[in-house]
Amino acid sequence: MSGEDFDALDRGDNDGQKSDKMFTLKKWNAVAMWSWDVECDTCAICRVQVMDACLRCQGESKKDSYGKQDCVVVWGECNHSFHFCCMSLWVKQNNRCPLCQQEWSIQRMGK
Amino acid sequence: MSLKPRNVDFTETWTHLKETVAGVVGLRAVERSVWNTRFSDVYALCVAHPEPLADRLYDETKSFLEEHVAGLLARVRGSSSLENNDHNDGLLTRYVTAWREYSQGVAYLNSLYSYLNLQHVKRQKVSDAEIIYGSAATVSCPENDARQLEVGELGLEIWERVLVRPLSTALTGRIVSALCSARDSTPDPALATTLKEAIHSTVQVRAFRVRAPLQLYQQLVLEPYLAAAGAAHARMAAALLAAGDVAHYTRLALQQLEREVSLGARFLDASSAEQVRACYERAAVAAHLPALHATVDKLMRDAATDERDGQERRDDLRRMYVLLRPLGGAALRPLVDAAHAQATADGHALLAQPHNKDEAHTHFVNAMLTLHGKYSKLFADVFGGAQAFIGALDKACSAVVNFRGPTDSCARAPELLARYCDCLLRKRGGGGGGSGETDVDEKLSAAIVVFKYVDDKDVFQKYYARALARRLIHQLSASMEQEEAMINRLKAACGYEFTNKLHRMFTDVAVSADLNAKFQQHLRDTNASTTPGFSIQVLQAGAWPLGGAMAPLAPPQQLERPARLFEAFYRASFSGRRLAWLHHLCTGELRTRYTPRVCHLSATTPQCALLLSFETVDQWSARDLRDALQLGGDAWWRHLRPLLDAALLLAEGDVGAGDGGGEPAPDATLALNLAFSCKRTKLRLTCANAPSHQGAATAGAGAGANAGAGADSGESATHCDDDRKMYLQAAIVRIMKQRKVLRHTELIQEVVSQARGSFAPSVAMIKKCIEALIDKQYLERAPAALDTYSYLA
Ligand SMILES: [Zn+2]
Ligand SMILES: [Zn+2]
Ligand SMILES: [Zn+2]
Repeated sequence: MSGEDFDALDRGDNDGQKSDKMFTLKKWNAVAMWSWDVECDTCAICRVQVMDACLRCQGESKKDSYGKQDCVVVWGECNHSFHFCCMSLWVKQNNRCPLCQQEWSIQRMGK
Repeated sequence: MSLKPRNVDFTETWTHLKETVAGVVGLRAVERSVWNTRFSDVYALCVAHPEPLADRLYDETKSFLEEHVAGLLARVRGSSSLENNDHNDGLLTRYVTAWREYSQGVAYLNSLYSYLNLQHVKRQKVSDAEIIYGSAATVSCPENDARQLEVGELGLEIWERVLVRPLSTALTGRIVSALCSARDSTPDPALATTLKEAIHSTVQVRAFRVRAPLQLYQQLVLEPYLAAAGAAHARMAAALLAAGDVAHYTRLALQQLEREVSLGARFLDASSAEQVRACYERAAVAAHLPALHATVDKLMRDAATDERDGQERRDDLRRMYVLLRPLGGAALRPLVDAAHAQATADGHALLAQPHNKDEAHTHFVNAMLTLHGKYSKLFADVFGGAQAFIGALDKACSAVVNFRGPTDSCARAPELLARYCDCLLRKRGGGGGGSGETDVDEKLSAAIVVFKYVDDKDVFQKYYARALARRLIHQLSASMEQEEAMINRLKAACGYEFTNKLHRMFTDVAVSADLNAKFQQHLRDTNASTTPGFSIQVLQAGAWPLGGAMAPLAPPQQLERPARLFEAFYRASFSGRRLAWLHHLCTGELRTRYTPRVCHLSATTPQCALLLSFETVDQWSARDLRDALQLGGDAWWRHLRPLLDAALLLAEGDVGAGDGGGEPAPDATLALNLAFSCKRTKLRLTCANAPSHQGAATAGAGAGANAGAGADSGESATHCDDDRKMYLQAAIVRIMKQRKVLRHTELIQEVVSQARGSFAPSVAMIKKCIEALIDKQYLERAPAALDTYSYLA
């Protein structure tokens, strides 16, 4: 990280210009956490937390040497959400949301 | 000679034949022409007309041989007294001389009688298979009916019956006596040859037999010899043990065993080797087991000392093992138990050695590695790495590693081992360094040796995950390669599930680096002003052991802009994601501008916010400031206190001291200490960890300080139970989803085997989890069958 100052963003204040500022913010190492924007954090089909890979993917990545998972979440028009893997299998048998029985149609996919 | 059957005068023919037979059996020279004539005579008698004379010839030959052997018997016996057992009285020599002559002669005779053997005897013989498999059960064996023996065999049978039987006691006595004296001193070569031939004659004389060919040898030689030898071995062993020197006994016993085995190999039939050895082991070792077992504890203790004569003591112990090993598991048990007890005691002693409390983790791991290394080597050296002893060492290590003192609520191994790894994986602060990278790799590999013995691997995993989170978030790792290698070692030891979350944490860091680069690029592309001092880590929820996460905070103005820019960038890059700032983990670096000497302060975001509040205001009411920053509960004091301790801020009145989240007094005030000075140019402001009720320990902002690792030891145990229940419930659901219907005992077994890598669950806990899942309607008791559960989809 370069030594450039944060407040270079806020024009009109930098090192060259003596001001009565008490502190200069040099660096900010931020930490944030992401999670799927879901109402219920458990997938009703496989009963695993949506932040974790679905049961099937967990089983498969056991064989993988690396735990890299690509098991995303899918939202229906009804706003219910499931693992995409789980829902893909589900709709083959029954094209309704397992929670509200509305006809299933995808509203958006997690990425 | 004519092949045509004809009349033959038996008496006349036999008279000539008999003369030649006597010559052949007595090994006198017989002319070729005479031999040929007699050979034809045998043929002529067998095919004689009108009546074959084979039977008569056979009977006459038998009578002749019986008479001949009776003559030999008198010769062999000579003037010897059959009652004494003096093997030097010439009887053995005469016996062997007669045997050599007779056995050779009878072999020639067998050729002379070839035609009779072939045509007359063979036809009556029953096949071996018929005898062995019993279809000829009623047909007698050849040895029981002389008519069915070839002439050579007949001759041997007569030798045994007429000569050996009457002499059996005398022969046995002399053979046994000769063998016993050969044990103590090498016999002269002539006697040795005689003895050997005499013994082998008892085998050869029955060699043609289908059943029990060694019976005569066993009765005459082996059994009497083993009886005598056994008694001698027992006497010797008793005398040695009575002298009380076990080391001397083991040395001598092994020598004698060797001597006994080679004596047997030299004189006895090859088939007896095992019996000779077993006889010795029975008489000299097995019979004295209690006395030997009474010494193994001391032998083991002595062998484990590092003193100068340790090698000799190890040799003693090795000899004891070699003596006991053939006697099987029960005889070896006390030795295995002693090995286990010694290693266990030594392990506890090593752990109890005085050490610096701050280095408890290093002491613990080093002690365990010393223990494991020492006894692995000892047991490989002394016991050839036999499985029973490796098992004893494993049991001992496991007992020592998981030892709980009377006052400990849980074993300390998980915590100490995790701390050991943490210290190795951290960047070493300047100066102290010295251990190179390969050294660290070796130490981490060695830590796995200890890790394998830890029972509560799940507890270790928690400590490890917390320390890893601290290292990753605060960039304290010495090397990402080492971090990854260690996770892979743990995975190799415990499996994917164990390290899944560690892997995800590790991956988040790599993804974040990429994300930072893309964000900066995005800012350049959109001509937004760049934010070089800004870096971010985006962690996935669920993988990181972070508690007290989303405490509300009004971030300082200066941070709002980059945060908002990043949020927008993130939203555009992904979809369906929620982003939350973990302010208590964010660190900022502030530079003082009001002090004579510039000082760089590393601080948490709330601390930055606190300090930056004094940009425009010299003095705050403590209560107002707290409310402005929305630092509720104990967060206020945790973040504030280090600023007061460092004398950056000055307090007037009660500003809310106390870990319980004390309320600032209404008139309490805070002011910036304008006279602040610091000897160092960098100051890292630590922050106490959030207490446990905020969730499984924050990866505290106690960056840099080791304090974090030790502080949260108690709470881990209490949280562990809940996590184990969660783990078991997940395992039960997984199993039941796959199996649909399962009996209670099978389910318990499967759950136990799945959990084995992490911890040993109690059946009671598994039962509770099953009940909980029934309540939650994941499972039900199968209506039809007792003790069976079925999965509810
Ligand atoms: Zn699912
Ligand atoms: Zn999946
Ligand atoms: Zn729905």
